[in-house]
Amino acid sequence: MTPLALRRGGRVLGRAAVWTWILLAMVPFVFILVTSIKPGAIAISVPPEWNFTPTLDNYSDILSGNTASSEAFAPLVWHSAIVSLSATALALAVGLPAAYALTMTRFRPRRALSSWILSTIMFPPIVAVIPVFVLAGELQLTDTYPVLVVPYAAFNLPMVIWVLRSTINQIPPEVEQAALVDGATRTGVLLRVILPLVMPGIATAAILSIVLSWNEFLFALTLTRDQVKTAPVGVAEFTGLFGTQYGYLTAASVVIVAPILVLVLILRRRFVSGLTFGAVK
Amino acid sequence: MAPALAILAALTIAPAIYLLYSSFFDFTLLGTTPRQFTGFDNYEFVFTNGTIRHDLLITLAFVAIAVTMEMALGLLIAVPLARRTTSNSIASTLLLVPFAMTPAVSALIWRQLLDPNFGWIDHYATELGIMGSPVEWLSHPETAWVALVGLDVWQWTPFVALVLIAGLQGVDEEPRQAAAVDGATRWQQFRYVTLPLLMPFIAIALLLRVVEAFKTFATVNVLTGGGPGRSTELINLTIYRVALQDFSIGAAAALGIVFLLLLLLIVPQILRLVTRHTDVLEAR
Amino acid sequence: MSIVDLPTTRRGFLKTTAAVSGGAVIGGGLWSACGGDDSSGGAKPKTLNMLYATVEANSEAVKGVLSDYRDEFGIRLNMDTIPYDALQQKVFSELAAQSANYDVMIVDTPWMPAIVGKIEPLGDYIKDSKLNDTAKVDTEDFIPKVFYDTAVYDAKKSHVHFPDSEGPPEVDGIREQGFDVYGLPIQANALTMSYRTDLFDDEKEKAAFKSQNGKDLAVPTTWDDFVTVAKFFTRPSEKRWGTTMMAGVGDWSTDDFKTLLASYGGDGHLVTDDFKIAFNTPEGVEALQYYADLINTEKVTPPGTTSASWDTVTNTFGAGLTAMGFNYHNMALKPNVDGEVSYATVPKKVQEGPHFGTWMLSIPKSAKNKDWAYRTIAWLTSSDVQSKMLTKQLHPTRVSVYDRAASDDAVKEAFGNFYEVLGKSLEVGVGRARLTNYGDVSNAVAVAVNKAATGSQSPEEALTAAAGETEDALKQAGYL
Repeated sequence: MTPLALRRGGRVLGRAAVWTWILLAMVPFVFILVTSIKPGAIAISVPPEWNFTPTLDNYSDILSGNTASSEAFAPLVWHSAIVSLSATALALAVGLPAAYALTMTRFRPRRALSSWILSTIMFPPIVAVIPVFVLAGELQLTDTYPVLVVPYAAFNLPMVIWVLRSTINQIPPEVEQAALVDGATRTGVLLRVILPLVMPGIATAAILSIVLSWNEFLFALTLTRDQVKTAPVGVAEFTGLFGTQYGYLTAASVVIVAPILVLVLILRRRFVSGLTFGAVK
Repeated sequence: MAPALAILAALTIAPAIYLLYSSFFDFTLLGTTPRQFTGFDNYEFVFTNGTIRHDLLITLAFVAIAVTMEMALGLLIAVPLARRTTSNSIASTLLLVPFAMTPAVSALIWRQLLDPNFGWIDHYATELGIMGSPVEWLSHPETAWVALVGLDVWQWTPFVALVLIAGLQGVDEEPRQAAAVDGATRWQQFRYVTLPLLMPFIAIALLLRVVEAFKTFATVNVLTGGGPGRSTELINLTIYRVALQDFSIGAAAALGIVFLLLLLLIVPQILRLVTRHTDVLEAR
Repeated sequence: MSIVDLPTTRRGFLKTTAAVSGGAVIGGGLWSACGGDDSSGGAKPKTLNMLYATVEANSEAVKGVLSDYRDEFGIRLNMDTIPYDALQQKVFSELAAQSANYDVMIVDTPWMPAIVGKIEPLGDYIKDSKLNDTAKVDTEDFIPKVFYDTAVYDAKKSHVHFPDSEGPPEVDGIREQGFDVYGLPIQANALTMSYRTDLFDDEKEKAAFKSQNGKDLAVPTTWDDFVTVAKFFTRPSEKRWGTTMMAGVGDWSTDDFKTLLASYGGDGHLVTDDFKIAFNTPEGVEALQYYADLINTEKVTPPGTTSASWDTVTNTFGAGLTAMGFNYHNMALKPNVDGEVSYATVPKKVQEGPHFGTWMLSIPKSAKNKDWAYRTIAWLTSSDVQSKMLTKQLHPTRVSVYDRAASDDAVKEAFGNFYEVLGKSLEVGVGRARLTNYGDVSNAVAVAVNKAATGSQSPEEALTAAAGETEDALKQAGYL
């Protein structure tokens, strides 16, 4: 074989391997989709049943609470949405001015602060959750929205600041200076000049923040009970002392995963561009 | 600026100070007050306890193994998918699916898929002759590790791949073509031209994966619960048990501080790698 | 009874709350103390708040009587139901914060040693006839073992069990020994065996068993017979195994082991009241060896047993994979499995001692409406109300409820002999060591059981290691 043919053969094999990986990686998603629309009696029959009449019973049961625990799943999804959106709004509201300040060369402690903010991403939530749990208990804040929203915003802030900062960095300094010369205040510049130009960065930061908040488990498990319990915590309750309700478990999984998946697929480019925190372009 | 710093400090510096303080007291949630100062007793408990040492070590092992595999596989996937074609675009879109799945949900699903009696994996793998007989994945330390690392690799390799694809697509083709003209082999072109240009992306992906892998909680809690034996008991599970099931806040605080110090030894090294290759700390 | 006789805790409570809700509380406390004639004992609140578990303590059964409660009391009982982990965190942090959010809390046995100081002792309430106008508390009707193990504590020495666990529970006798009553038991769980009657009654199976073993096929009552029967039914090629076990790491495997330990003649509490480790003994090794052999040598359990918990066991038995199985509720078959299920007590070696644990309803010291909270829990745990809740699978705590169920054809129709078996099991059940960090001990033992069950360590090695860890845990908690 010529080296060229060898190389081509290698490339074909490589592509085949990559596609095999990608398709195998879809199996868990296919599993929840298929099992969630199976009639309950054959949910886990072995060998797996593929020839069945699809039903949406599992979905209507879990959303309305027609299950053994009679707890409706719909409110949990709602809690998740409120928490994710609020945390994202908060992170953006405080993150944008911070990102702006960090791009100004005249701002002295810029480098030290930047370094510190970036390093906070390593702070383990399991360590943060202990005092929050103790204090939230004493202050009677457990099971309220702020007790999730503020920590989620804090965890997402480094990412938000980094994404926004890199977007602001791409704005030519002349644009800002021109506005300042025209007599605008710093805040005015930030709101009227910078803000419109960083909208793409904001969209990127927002979608990442929403996904991270939506998927969070530890704080939600520890700090919510039923008033603001989020969907990822609730889904585990379909398996318990009385066995696993496979239909409900998988339907609830689809309900949790679907909104995020749709969001990520629609805003694919924005999402992927944010994965590096804007640290590289 | 100030509100952002306040929120960040409230969830990092403040907890660290609170835990440092608590770690010197006999502090249980329902214990007597005023709490008794106990000096280094809690630290003595942490350092003399074989279980905790074991849990710290396997946490390091988990991070090292999982992240290495994710980086290697991510690079292997990224290279063929870097060219902008329709099929590659579809492939990158599909890569988002595992990555967008809620980790707690992923672990629940993997548990079902790996069930030796009802799971798809054992059933189809034996059917296709890949495995001789069903494997009790979560019953043996080795296979439980395969399952746990496999879940992490399945979930996060796409992240690495997507970052590196973005990196490869941004790499200037000219230097590589020049090298090709000069007679460099494809491997040499990759090794000496493309790879250095890709370093910033590799560094940032590595940093984010290491940091996140140290935070692994939901998946291991749901998938193995630390078993069999204590073979997959990552330190996050231990801290959760001591702090939030035993409510021994003082002991958990000492444990948390030790974990934090360990991270302070490791993560800044990677952070330095990132700052060396990128301009993250520079303004325009 | 005069004010001076009130126990310190109650008096302290009067002092601290008098300023806030003085009228109401003193109204109740003083009137009853002076023999006054206020039948309400504190102003009646419009609502009471109760913290409850979910399926673990059959919340559905309690929900089913809430409207009756409203008719009876004219009070709305808000019930928050929370799953286990979150519930424990909630109970502990509410008590630590001394909040008045809940008038009634459900409490699981292993939590009590740590929280007993924050729970209202009920001796005075039980003795006060004014507070027992809506329901008869009749403590002597509770299953003695259940009552003493669940509700009777010495707040100053929370690690000590009440010395006598057989006699009918009675407040004066309990107080004489320095103990008090800290709640009323509502849901009692004990390990029971579920088995497939369709297999045990099958003529072909009976004949095959007889020709193989030279005796009649019968539901095993000893562990020796059990392994024979389990081996007989184990036919992996037919996807059928003898029995389930819960050998994954968790409370379930500790509980499996302590059941066996007790039946082999050991102390199923795992640690004695004077902190001697009771499982690293010849009985313990023998019991764990038997358990490991079922899984490893005899191979009578289905795949996945060494990572199984109570939900897995429910799934495998429900799917018809095993002929017998153990759990803390009446396991049933999935609708697509053809067969019948009946129940039996756990087999024994030299004695019986299935693991049991009971939920009780308690009143936090910081609660606002304690008199009405007491009336509420007395009513909820009363014989009549428990009988009603039994139809929704509550596991009752009173002898009279089991007696009534035994002669109720509707109950037998719906649940077979389950309640008869559960009642018998509760009478001989064995609880846990009373340690503030029992969780650590349980975890150490669970790891040992799992290691022995997977064959990665011998029973001796595993139990010795667990004993070492238990000793560390006892030191850490300040017991040693």
